[in-house]
Amino acid sequence: MSIEEQVREIVARITHVDKSIITRGSTFKEIKADSLDVVQALVAVEETFGIEIPDEEAQKFQNFGDLVSYVESRVAQEEKV
Amino acid sequence: MSLEGKLALVTGSGRGIGRAIALKLASQGADIIVNFFRRRETAEQTAKDIKAVGVKAEVIRANVGDPAKIDEMFDMIANKFGRLDILINNAASGVGRPAMDIDVKAWEWTMDINARACLFCAQRAAKLMEGRGGKIVSISSLGSLFVLPNYTIVGVSKAALEALTRYLAIELAPQGICVNAVAAAAVQTEALKFYFGEGLSKDNRQATPAGRMVIPEDVANVVAFLCSEEAFMIRGQTIIIDGGTSVGLFTLAGKES
Repeated sequence: MSIEEQVREIVARITHVDKSIITRGSTFKEIKADSLDVVQALVAVEETFGIEIPDEEAQKFQNFGDLVSYVESRVAQEEKV
Repeated sequence: MSLEGKLALVTGSGRGIGRAIALKLASQGADIIVNFFRRRETAEQTAKDIKAVGVKAEVIRANVGDPAKIDEMFDMIANKFGRLDILINNAASGVGRPAMDIDVKAWEWTMDINARACLFCAQRAAKLMEGRGGKIVSISSLGSLFVLPNYTIVGVSKAALEALTRYLAIELAPQGICVNAVAAAAVQTEALKFYFGEGLSKDNRQATPAGRMVIPEDVANVVAFLCSEEAFMIRGQTIIIDGGTSVGLFTLAGKES
């Protein structure tokens, strides 16, 4: 499963929305994710991929795609190390 | 009051009250373990400021709402230091909602971080204090006793924390571990602005007989005292730091704002 698909499943599970409605352009508001949902999704993503997403970075995410891109770049970095 | 040679863990000490406590204990000579969860930059800054005082600082990331992460944090402390003298349960989170809007997720998130973590951190800390005694101080708030707007679940979690403080104080007394809590009125921090906006700050200044809001350093000063040998006979108490707000409630009636 791709990173995007894994992140989508996590976000869908936490926000209780159908994963088919989550596109890269979906904002967290559109997914009906409140601030607690977002934090819990970040924690679940961190644990799944073994990375850290500090709030300083998370605050820059405008939509689901930004989160996915960040995770993809961090996972690629980890693989290089 | 000197804490020279002591090792203190302050949970959630990247910013706000936790940071002020970490810096205060450091200024008295304690080495500090700075725990954070979401903001690494602020935690690193706190550690840098602690080191500038001339003591050691270590940064550990852990979500104290997760008992497995608490274990990982204490395993690291046990392996690296083999001891702990002071535990400050400061990390807190919460969802600002009226009681009727609280769901299971919000309840568990808040209770796990604000109350349950205090128990599991205390269990592990007590083992590292064995044979040497120690101090455990937890940070509560006036919301445990009084009703604040949309503060429901946080207030309930703080009430649990205060009750736990009393039970731990008695159970750990034979081991020479002093357990207490402090409860502050609204403290001027970023978190306050985030949850309540600027309005509460103005209202609180007017409602505080001492004439100003509580600042993080007010809390840190009392915590440092509770960590000192001078406070040895204070056990299981929650010390209120509110500039007189709570005892002066009835004097506010009819007061012009």
